[in-house]
Amino acid sequence: MEQANPLCPEGESKGGVLAHLERLETQVSRSRKQSEELQSAQAQEGALGTKIHKLRHLRDELRAAVWHRRGNVKACIANVEPNRTVEVNEQEALEEKLENVKAVLQAYHFTGLSGKLTSRGVCVCINTAFEGNLLDSYFVDLVIQKPLRIHHHSVPVFIPLEEIAAKYLQTNIQHFLFSLCEYLNAYSGRKYQADRLQSDFAALLTGPLQRNPLCNLLSFTYKLDPGGQSFPFCARLVYKDLTATLPTDVTVTCQGGEALSTSWEEQRASHETLFCTKPLHQVFASFARREKLMSLVS
Amino acid sequence: MDETVAEFIKRTILKIPMNELTTILKAWDFLSENQLQTVNFRQRKESVVQHLIRLCEEKRASLNDAALLDIIYTQFHQHQKVWDVFQMSKGPGEDVDLFDMKQFKNSFKKILQRALKNVTVSFRETEENAVWIRIAWGTQYTKPNQYKPTYVVYYSQTPYAFKSSSTLRRNTPLLGQALTIASKHHQIVKMDLRSRYLDSLKAIVFKQYNQTFETHNSTTPLQERSLGLDINMDSRIIHENIVEKERVQRITQETFGDYSQPQLEFAQYKLETKFKSDLNGSILAEREEPLRCLIKFSSPHLLEALKSLAPAGECRIQKPLCYSASYSQGTQDLSSC
Repeated sequence: MEQANPLCPEGESKGGVLAHLERLETQVSRSRKQSEELQSAQAQEGALGTKIHKLRHLRDELRAAVWHRRGNVKACIANVEPNRTVEVNEQEALEEKLENVKAVLQAYHFTGLSGKLTSRGVCVCINTAFEGNLLDSYFVDLVIQKPLRIHHHSVPVFIPLEEIAAKYLQTNIQHFLFSLCEYLNAYSGRKYQADRLQSDFAALLTGPLQRNPLCNLLSFTYKLDPGGQSFPFCARLVYKDLTATLPTDVTVTCQGGEALSTSWEEQRASHETLFCTKPLHQVFASFARREKLMSLVS
Repeated sequence: MDETVAEFIKRTILKIPMNELTTILKAWDFLSENQLQTVNFRQRKESVVQHLIRLCEEKRASLNDAALLDIIYTQFHQHQKVWDVFQMSKGPGEDVDLFDMKQFKNSFKKILQRALKNVTVSFRETEENAVWIRIAWGTQYTKPNQYKPTYVVYYSQTPYAFKSSSTLRRNTPLLGQALTIASKHHQIVKMDLRSRYLDSLKAIVFKQYNQTFETHNSTTPLQERSLGLDINMDSRIIHENIVEKERVQRITQETFGDYSQPQLEFAQYKLETKFKSDLNGSILAEREEPLRCLIKFSSPHLLEALKSLAPAGECRIQKPLCYSASYSQGTQDLSSC
């Protein structure tokens, strides 16, 4: 029986040879790996080395450029007077240009709609005005992305900004801005009229002016001749169109409620028409003028 | 003057700290200048209060006057109450809002008085187009309890109202109904927003928290901020640190802005998440269903605390959704790692 004798020379050499071959194989693969790693490390080293060289070269170039510039400046300063005046003139010219540009930018405020580019988009400034008086300014900060959105704004909460944005912001930004301008200008105009009435013509009012945030419902009582014997009138102005500065409905009644004489009735009707067609403070200005004339005459 | 009214005024005045007493009495405008001058405010408080009560009796103060004093006290001490925010909505295609304050007040009062016979409703208008409403609740058979009123601050021609939280919750639906109908809206919903600071709630809800805008006149000197670095370090390290710190500051500024943050005390999030774990067989990791948790951040001033986190270290945070609403910047990654 042939037993596998581990000490048999053939068996030993076979087991030994195979094992030996295996060992040799692993040795080779290990050394191959090592040499590969060494190669890649060397390649990286080489790449980094060239990069360092390039950066050093760049640094030297920049240094040289800086020295060169400094040298130029020194040379300029060395040629004292004529160059200095040239510089001063240049500086003055630049300052003048800067002032001009600033003035132009400020002048844009008078167009009612101006803007400034921001890092995210644009900050639009709406300057409202009424009858040539510059009133409040409102800002809308837009982020230029898809979809276009409003980052923050200073529009009062009762102006339907979200509605206008929902309708126009994504499709037609011009329309959005003009529509918003309309609402804001109209609101500013109504507010201006109400404020002027309260401040300038308090003498003609017999009670406080009732108003709401949008200034689209005003009611007040007034007398044409303060301190006189005439009946006070009650006026109620309704502005259903938020883009308008004149009321859509006006009701003027006489406080007494009794049957009015025809002259009072005519006055009442004419007042209603006046309030519908002219701005509030102008109507009262005409009342005040008339009153003055009457007092002069009588 | 009614016994109960006298008692009510007395207790209200006793609550007022001495240094605010003259200011509040002047705002009340019930006692005249002459009457107030006869009072010696340097006495002990009890004596001052007794003198004031006598003056109120002379002038025959009514329940309404007493309620007004209570409103003014609450206006001065807004922070003592916790305010909820309610949002109303109109139906589509509604007419333009022609808000009439008189009509609103009458309508509101009528609705409450029709539902509950015993209720005290008082109003005080303020300059920012807001009306403070005080409601003292009673039932069909009991008189209104003046010591547990509810306050509502309504900003006219806006959909928002702020209500002080109270323990008497059964009247909230009626209050909501009255407010909605009187202001000509259709629906009212309670928002997930609550705070002691009315101004902050206003800033959040009206989106007025950031009122700085870039114009051609403004300059943003971001680079001038000192970053407090150690000068003894290698200049190249300083440079790298500066770059990183500037980046963090820029992102913080873009997220939070330059303005002072509205004051929130807590923010609560519902979180549904699955756990990832490297250890095999971790109990938390191998679940089909996600874990549901409630996370609450609280701080005396939450947003300022979050704002200072990024420059101080690392954090990644999503700006609270109710705060940013439709104008959010989404998730902001404030961290460097």
